[in-house]
Amino acid sequence: MEPYEGVDFYDIESLLTEEEIMIRDMVRDWVDEEVLPKIEHACAEGVFLDEWRVALGEMGVLGAPLKGYGCPGLSYVAYGLICQELERGDSGLRSFASVQGSLAMYPIWDFGTEEQKNHYLPKMTSGEWIGCFGLTEPDYGSNPGDMITKAEDMGDHYLLNGAKMWITNGTIADVAVVWAKLDGVIRGFIVEKGDEGFSAPEMKGKHSLKASVTSELVFQDCKIPKDRMLPGVKGLRGPFSCLNNARFGISWGALGAAMACFHSAKTYSLSRIQFDHPIASYQLVQNKLAWMLREITKGQLLAYHLGRKKDDGTWFNEQISLAKMNNVDIALEIARVARDIHGANGVLDEYPVMRHMANLESVKTYEGTHDIHNLIIGRYITGIQAFTRTV
Amino acid sequence: MSNIVVLVKQVPDTNAKIVVSGDRVDLSAVKKVMSPYDEFAVETALKHREANGGEVTALTLGGAGADKVLKDAKAIGVDHIVRIDTEDEHDSNALQSALATVLTEIGAEVVYCGKSAADTGAGSTGPGIAERLGWASVSNVISVAFESGLTVIAPSEGGNARISVPLPAVISCDKGDMKVRKPNVKGIMQAKKAKVEVKTVAMQGSTVSVVAHSMPPAKPAGKSYEGGAAAAEVARLLRDEANVI
Repeated sequence: MEPYEGVDFYDIESLLTEEEIMIRDMVRDWVDEEVLPKIEHACAEGVFLDEWRVALGEMGVLGAPLKGYGCPGLSYVAYGLICQELERGDSGLRSFASVQGSLAMYPIWDFGTEEQKNHYLPKMTSGEWIGCFGLTEPDYGSNPGDMITKAEDMGDHYLLNGAKMWITNGTIADVAVVWAKLDGVIRGFIVEKGDEGFSAPEMKGKHSLKASVTSELVFQDCKIPKDRMLPGVKGLRGPFSCLNNARFGISWGALGAAMACFHSAKTYSLSRIQFDHPIASYQLVQNKLAWMLREITKGQLLAYHLGRKKDDGTWFNEQISLAKMNNVDIALEIARVARDIHGANGVLDEYPVMRHMANLESVKTYEGTHDIHNLIIGRYITGIQAFTRTV
Repeated sequence: MSNIVVLVKQVPDTNAKIVVSGDRVDLSAVKKVMSPYDEFAVETALKHREANGGEVTALTLGGAGADKVLKDAKAIGVDHIVRIDTEDEHDSNALQSALATVLTEIGAEVVYCGKSAADTGAGSTGPGIAERLGWASVSNVISVAFESGLTVIAPSEGGNARISVPLPAVISCDKGDMKVRKPNVKGIMQAKKAKVEVKTVAMQGSTVSVVAHSMPPAKPAGKSYEGGAAAAEVARLLRDEANVI
């Protein structure tokens, strides 16, 4: 296939700093050399390659926007570009980085004690320790406020009981940030691999995010030392602030998957001859390609502007919801149209489109489903919450 | 402790589509990258520093736009970055003289460069500089050992030659089997802060000048054959004309 040069119809590169461009290119080159040649095999085997963990740590991209404690301290735009390039490789790879940085490292960085930050963050940014984030439960997905996992204060320790589900990195994690109710109030706890009463069996049988580890977290009278609670936050604000950062990264990441599908569709349509001419020469195909470029470009401008607002602190939650919802939605549709342009070849692992399509079905659902983000924006517009029947 | 210099050149991305506008190549819209063989030179220079100590300076020649290639080298790990400032086109003689002048000025003891640049493919810079400085020179080196002085391996007739090289020397590097190191975020942050030392050299006049650029002629249309009866003819053409069997 023709070498990948990115998609930048509106010259967004001219808005990036030299450092942001260098970081994007570093991750792009790594994905070309170390991910794309191996991703289909990893999906077939259902594994996340450990060498990717090592490389992400060596590149220094984990916990990208966090400052101090050995973390990179990059701009949110740089973080977005990292997510974009990783997800051009595979959503599973970007999920690993999102969970590590935004869902596991971020709450320790923002709500943890100095001792917790010094103990966990340097080893997590280097990739030595893998993190995961336990919020969703088997019966509480879009409605985490009603979670049943609970913590009890036993005097010299906490006792955790309950179960979490759909946890990226769970089985391979060294550190889990787990949200549980203590006296009816949601609090964050740091659980470590090997803690008594803690297990993390892997969930098998996924048709999506196959190169990513997804697990249950099970707590049966799990003993947690007192110094492992995050003191800095109470209630849903804790997990939601983590999700905001991860959703921001997804709004960029989804564009990477869309760019991969667009690139493949463009290249394929220029080389596939039907009725004596490349299918790219037919108006119906051009219409599809033009629509893909249009949606990617709009998504890029959305993500870029949101990134700069994250950097100067002028953003609000609903803006992140809109970007996550829109960019994943268009990416999934672009993957479907790209599969269509590839004809029967589109279902083969020779092309990336069906893999991205299947991945994006998960991405549309996790970190706030498409519908929940619509409700968040609906509440912003009307002032009326429509999550429950109680107005 | 060695004063190590690596020469790096910014060239059009080897995947870029080249356009000739009028009688000149138009590179305005083309992405620029470090010439691929220079990446092996940078890697070898860094290995030299790791083995023997010292500092590595990356040196290039060009306008301010060429600073990018120096920043790329800095992000990979060189200590200093220096650019000889010139916007004009120069021939190999002028370039080699300018580079030799600055190498003397900064006290270089060993110089690494790519075996040839991806744009011109001339391969004259390394040997040309060594000639001007009166230094030892070995080209197309695929491996370097630093244990007892400098020993390099370069292809020779029928195999490889192991060559002991006295310093000062200019070594031009081929791919070999080395894996080049890549930048990381820490390196990129250091590159962002790093200042390019800009040097001005009186450039000597070029002995030759480019009159015009042109695209290579289009490939002739392929021939197609049908049916088993053509097999013998196809085999003959593959053997006698294409020289592939």
